[in-house]
Amino acid sequence: MASTACFIIVSRNDIPIYEAEVGSAPKEEAAHQHQFILHAALDIVQDLAWTTSAMFLKAVERFNDLVVSVYVTAGHTRLMLLHDSRNEDGIKSFFQEVHELYIKILLNPLYLSGSRITSSHFDTKVRALARKYL
Amino acid sequence: MGREVAESCVDGVIMEMVSAYCNRFYSSKPELAARRIEAIGFQVGHQLSERYTMERPRFSDHLEAIKFICKDFWSELFKKQIDNLKTNHRGTFVLQDNQFRWLTHISIDASPDNVEASQQDSSSPTSNNAAQFTSMHLYFPCGIIRGALTNLGIPCAVSADISNLPACSFVVRIKA
Repeated sequence: MASTACFIIVSRNDIPIYEAEVGSAPKEEAAHQHQFILHAALDIVQDLAWTTSAMFLKAVERFNDLVVSVYVTAGHTRLMLLHDSRNEDGIKSFFQEVHELYIKILLNPLYLSGSRITSSHFDTKVRALARKYL
Repeated sequence: MGREVAESCVDGVIMEMVSAYCNRFYSSKPELAARRIEAIGFQVGHQLSERYTMERPRFSDHLEAIKFICKDFWSELFKKQIDNLKTNHRGTFVLQDNQFRWLTHISIDASPDNVEASQQDSSSPTSNNAAQFTSMHLYFPCGIIRGALTNLGIPCAVSADISNLPACSFVVRIKA
């Protein structure tokens, strides 16, 4: 089933360090809106993150039929996913696996914290996880 | 993730790092050596805190984060928890460890095993050199604590107090 999905990782300084269109549907003209929606949802995430100590904040905002889900790490890095599917367990597993990949990137001593993630290996793995869980 | 390293390797790396920075890289400027060692600890603490907070829920306030450092973080690093935590409720915490693991291999008096002290001039007070040598070793764990707390959102300054070895206190001052 074709699905649209856009995934970004935002660092604690509100700088996006990774962006990817991971949906299986072909890229449509409105795809540029996805990043805009995700950035606009950051304010809501900021308020919501302080109300709970859980990592996985479920659907924080809706736009037409697209939903934004967010996963916040202890270092206040936000993994945000814009999607149209309703598979919550799959999304939670996706976030947890990407979190583990992100920690592996962080453990690289040559990686400057808060800079863009440029590893193609990371990109390939994230897309594979998206195909598997979303 | 989660492969293990022998503790003797960690001890060896730390001793060599301190000795390299103090005696080879910045031999005439101990303050710069201390800053570099602390910066290395900062990055390590940053990465370790991200890794050890993965499974657990996030922290709601500063005290929760400090308690995490005292319990889970310390037991992951040193296989024991902090023995005593004191606070003045105004942003200063004292973490006391009664048997700090990384200092157990450093003798308290300057013996021939202690290569750094034996290279010093024999007329200078040996207790001073031993104290300076020990404090150099403590910059690394201070940096680790500072890196971990900064990653959890708490900018702070960490210093070590070695008035009674082998007990070691880390004073954390949260920047307002």
